Amino acid sequence: MTSIGTGYDLSASTYSPDGRIFQVEYATKAVENSGTAIGLRVKDGIVLGVEKLIHSKLLVPGANRRIQTVDRHIGMATAGLLADGRNVANRARDESSQIRGLWREPPTVKELADRLALYAQAYTLYSSVRPFGISTIFGGVDKTGPSLFVVEPSGVCLGYHGAAVGKGRQLAKTELEKLKLSELSMREAVIEAARIIYIVHDDNKEKEFELEMSWAGDETGGLHVPVPADLLAEAEQKAREALETFE
Amino acid sequence: MDRIDMDRLKSGEVNLGTSIMAVQFDHGVVIGADSRTTTGSYIANRVTDKLTHVHDRIYCCRSGSAADTQAIADIVHYSLQLYTQEFGAAPPVSSAAAIFQKLCYENKDALSAGIIVAGWDKEVGPSVYNIPVGGGSFRQPWAIGGSGSTYVYGYCDATYQEGWGRGEAVQFVKNTLALAMGRDGSSGGVIRMCVITEDGVERLFVPGDQLPKFWEGHEVLPAAVTGANVIDPVPMAVE
Amino acid sequence: MECGVRCPRRRRVRPFCTQTAMYRGPGFDFSNSLRNDFLQHKGVALPKATSTGTTIVGCIFKDGIILGADTRATEGEIVADKNCEKIHYIAESIRCCGAGTAADTEFVTAAISSNIELHALSTGRKPRVVAAMTMLKQYLFQYQGHVGAALVLGGVDSTGAHLFTVHPHGSTDKLPYVTMGSGSLAAMAVFENGWKPNMEVGRQPLSPALPSWYSNDNVRPAVQREEALKLVCDAVAAGIFNDLGSGSNIDACVITATHTEMLRNFVKPNERVAKELKYGFRHGTTAIKSEHIRSLVVSEEITPIRGEAMDVS
Repeated sequence: MTSIGTGYDLSASTYSPDGRIFQVEYATKAVENSGTAIGLRVKDGIVLGVEKLIHSKLLVPGANRRIQTVDRHIGMATAGLLADGRNVANRARDESSQIRGLWREPPTVKELADRLALYAQAYTLYSSVRPFGISTIFGGVDKTGPSLFVVEPSGVCLGYHGAAVGKGRQLAKTELEKLKLSELSMREAVIEAARIIYIVHDDNKEKEFELEMSWAGDETGGLHVPVPADLLAEAEQKAREALETFE
Repeated sequence: MDRIDMDRLKSGEVNLGTSIMAVQFDHGVVIGADSRTTTGSYIANRVTDKLTHVHDRIYCCRSGSAADTQAIADIVHYSLQLYTQEFGAAPPVSSAAAIFQKLCYENKDALSAGIIVAGWDKEVGPSVYNIPVGGGSFRQPWAIGGSGSTYVYGYCDATYQEGWGRGEAVQFVKNTLALAMGRDGSSGGVIRMCVITEDGVERLFVPGDQLPKFWEGHEVLPAAVTGANVIDPVPMAVE
Repeated sequence: MECGVRCPRRRRVRPFCTQTAMYRGPGFDFSNSLRNDFLQHKGVALPKATSTGTTIVGCIFKDGIILGADTRATEGEIVADKNCEKIHYIAESIRCCGAGTAADTEFVTAAISSNIELHALSTGRKPRVVAAMTMLKQYLFQYQGHVGAALVLGGVDSTGAHLFTVHPHGSTDKLPYVTMGSGSLAAMAVFENGWKPNMEVGRQPLSPALPSWYSNDNVRPAVQREEALKLVCDAVAAGIFNDLGSGSNIDACVITATHTEMLRNFVKPNERVAKELKYGFRHGTTAIKSEHIRSLVVSEEITPIRGEAMDVS
């Protein structure tokens, strides 16, 4: 054993004496360092929004997306390690096509999130792997209507009206709680989501950021697609205005 | 297309030489079947129940090999319980039909099974799927199957109309099956029916002596005539 | 030259043989026999005729199930065992009659009996008849009819009395009275004629002394208490006497919720009379009409022929 540390955090397959799995908690820390991601489940659809921090001015604007499409009607936003997000997205696409092949119907968001929760949980059991360093927001519309789920590194999967993960999640949640989500339209939700991302972004500490947004619902014919450029621009404009009057 | 090819049955295999049927109506489906099970020329069971439960609101009508169709129905029954457990909701009829088709298509060389899947679900309401031998899957407003069905395609085409209610659908099934059973030697016995709606499944039963009656024929030779016109048959001259 | 004359005559005969395929005259036609001989000569084996020489039956009555079976086992046309057991143990309240390939019925019932026992142990409940039925059908279906077991499965469990037939390919039927084996048709005729719902077996001890099965005398004292059991025995007897593949004695098994009674050799309608083991005839069996004694001793005289002695010096 090394001179520092207790040794209980070296493997995901080891408990600490008080019943914690440090590797999972470290994975959660990895999520907390990431730019915020939020999801809103409203009357007629869902909206996903991400605060994508720009590490370098040389990056192509719009590249390295953190919102991905899993199936025609389901999207996911991740906070945490970007590469892990890619892996989970691929797994989600596999699961989705498997469900379609077996039951001859598009999967519900809940089915998919449940399966990915099992996938994430499996990475908390073995010494040979590390847990995923991401929290994932799954959003989409299916036969049960709009739905939103979050899968944590521990494998926990919960359904939400509004969800926030990453660095600014506390403030974002406070803002989400102020909204009457079940009465909002998708368009209104886009404006609110943009506003919240702008609010939670810490201008003093952070580098620049890009607002990435997607939606699925009545407005999109049930498909998960990026929010159109004009609406995005309008939302960002309003978000900046709101920022002036905030606090 | 969905006739049972007798050559495909293994020797001594129990056969559902059958008349089966399903019809969709405005808020449910009616399914029906005869009750005959045969091994060769012997009726192994004259009160068979070919209407098989696979979920709360999904049933199937079985035709072909009894062993094959029972095994398939058992697997689908299991799969749909799994679905309910995993997804926390009743499966749609389309998913049940998908499982049936998968099994029938992927094992087509080893199976002789013609199945009609019918039921009610929350997404589309009533629906009927025909899965003939070979493993196709076709959604139809009504479907007939089994060896007896070939005799009544014309009757069904001529009779079926859209927008029927429960009463008309039940009568249609009853009449069609009675006609099929009357012409097909390997169908017969009683008529069993199920009416599946959102509210539940109701079983109906028509005993073999109370089947709907149609034209049953009469003596074709002229009745014996008395009087002067009687012509005695003259025996043919034989050398 | 002469040949030219004789050949046309022969030709008149030959077409008769080759034309049989197209023209079928009246009477027997052995053209297939010729073909089969040819095929056999070429190495195509004729299909083997196998028979399920058995009569097994089962019937539901007021308090449970009665199973019945004959006790003849055959190998082709040879009676291999004159008193075998065809009612197999699955569980205390579940029994199974087997027809078809003897080894298969023996093995499949033993295997399922074992699994049912383990299942009962792991669930902590008494086993159900449907559980045994499902195991049997899945086993038989897996072997696509190559395990030649045709079964009558019956028993009583927490959900009531159940009776099934299981066919070799894995299909099952649930009926109030069932028969299987080569004697099933004869036995079914008896059931169709005599079965009615809620028959009784009675609570008094069953007496094995039922009247002779040879008699056509159907007038029997109205013994209501043994109604169902008699029907089962009648059905098996019909198989024993009318089906060549069935014979010897009747085994029966009465299963109720509280008790299972295995009635081995319940009726023995084919008892063999004791052999005297001496085959001499009594004096005076045949009258003597005349007596004539001949001497069978052959007497012969040897007359040595004298001649010149051989020179052996």
